[in-house]
Amino acid sequence: MRRIGLVGIVVAVVAVVGCATAPLRTDDSVAAIRAAEEVGAEGVPRAALHLQFAKESLARAIKLANDGYPEQAKSLLTRAEADAELAVLLSREDAQGREALQAIERVRQLRQDHPERGRQ
Amino acid sequence: MRTMTSFQAALAGIAALAYLGCAHSVPAELLSARAAYQRSSEGPAADLVPAELHKARVALAAAEQSFEDAPDSYRTRDLAYVAQRTSERADALAGIDADRRSTAQSDDSFSTMQGEIITRTETDLRDARTDLSQSQMALMAALARLAAVKEEDRGLVITLSGSVLFRSGEHALLPAAQTRLDQVAEALLTSRERKLVVEGHTDSQGTHRANMLLSQRRADAVRDYLIGNGYASHLIVAEGLGQGRPVADNATPEGRSNNRRVEIVIERTAPTQSLNRPPRSRIASGLER
Repeated sequence: MRRIGLVGIVVAVVAVVGCATAPLRTDDSVAAIRAAEEVGAEGVPRAALHLQFAKESLARAIKLANDGYPEQAKSLLTRAEADAELAVLLSREDAQGREALQAIERVRQLRQDHPERGRQ
Repeated sequence: MRTMTSFQAALAGIAALAYLGCAHSVPAELLSARAAYQRSSEGPAADLVPAELHKARVALAAAEQSFEDAPDSYRTRDLAYVAQRTSERADALAGIDADRRSTAQSDDSFSTMQGEIITRTETDLRDARTDLSQSQMALMAALARLAAVKEEDRGLVITLSGSVLFRSGEHALLPAAQTRLDQVAEALLTSRERKLVVEGHTDSQGTHRANMLLSQRRADAVRDYLIGNGYASHLIVAEGLGQGRPVADNATPEGRSNNRRVEIVIERTAPTQSLNRPPRSRIASGLER
């Protein structure tokens, strides 16, 4: 009984120490932020805002990890990823919206050039 | 049992307020997440990207569960934050989908209209060719009643006998010739505007120089007459060709008579004006005289 208790304590200590010293995995957050940058999020106001949020959350998460709060840091990274992914989608939405407007303009121009044939 | 003292009552009140206060201290992130989900579920995301909306619902449920388990924890706030972003993702995806549909619809409209325009243009061209062909036939028929008409490589050739148009050795049009030319002009002008070459020809009697001069003056006389009747001057060229192009034997009186002639060549070149342009009013009024 005493041996099992000791082993349990040792395992628990190793686990705690292991968790405490495990480096913060920021790969996914960093990749999401890069993806947002690559699709031009900085050029789309709403996307740029969320990209900024993502970067700030990543920075805060790293600081929390360095200050000894790994769980909080890990949780905060989910915010960074969520914001970065949203920034990607907002960029795509902006591009798709512009494409839709251009398509409408093409139709409008065709109707204008051929008023007798452009009516539906 | 003794009744509560006022101090105990105050403590109970404070405890109750504290409890109520704690029970209602929903994190701002969770309030925002709830509102975001509400907006998404009532917006186009419900129809366009239901799977994404489902993810948002699951994320919000996770945040709500965490709030029940640990209302003030960082985890609850982070889950709620992510839930809000998940709803906003659904909105963005719905926007992308709607724009994509709009683009596809516009492209379809564009293609349909373009197809209609091409079909219509082809029909117009076909009709124009038919009109042109019919016009050409009508012109030939009208002219054939007035003079010899034949089709050659250089165009439609109307031959007017020189003896009908001029006295021998002169270049002034005879009154009868004017009537004939009026009819020819009328036939020409009811058709579309075309380039004309008026050619003067003589027989072989007389000097070459004199024949060239006479044929040029006769061609000029016919040209001037047609212009006087409203034919556009820039469309008519007059050429004196003398005796150089006989159509019959100059050794006989009949052959010489045939060689003394004026030919009006209607060139095959495309009309210079709009296909559907009616004859000019000046031309029409000139023909009515």
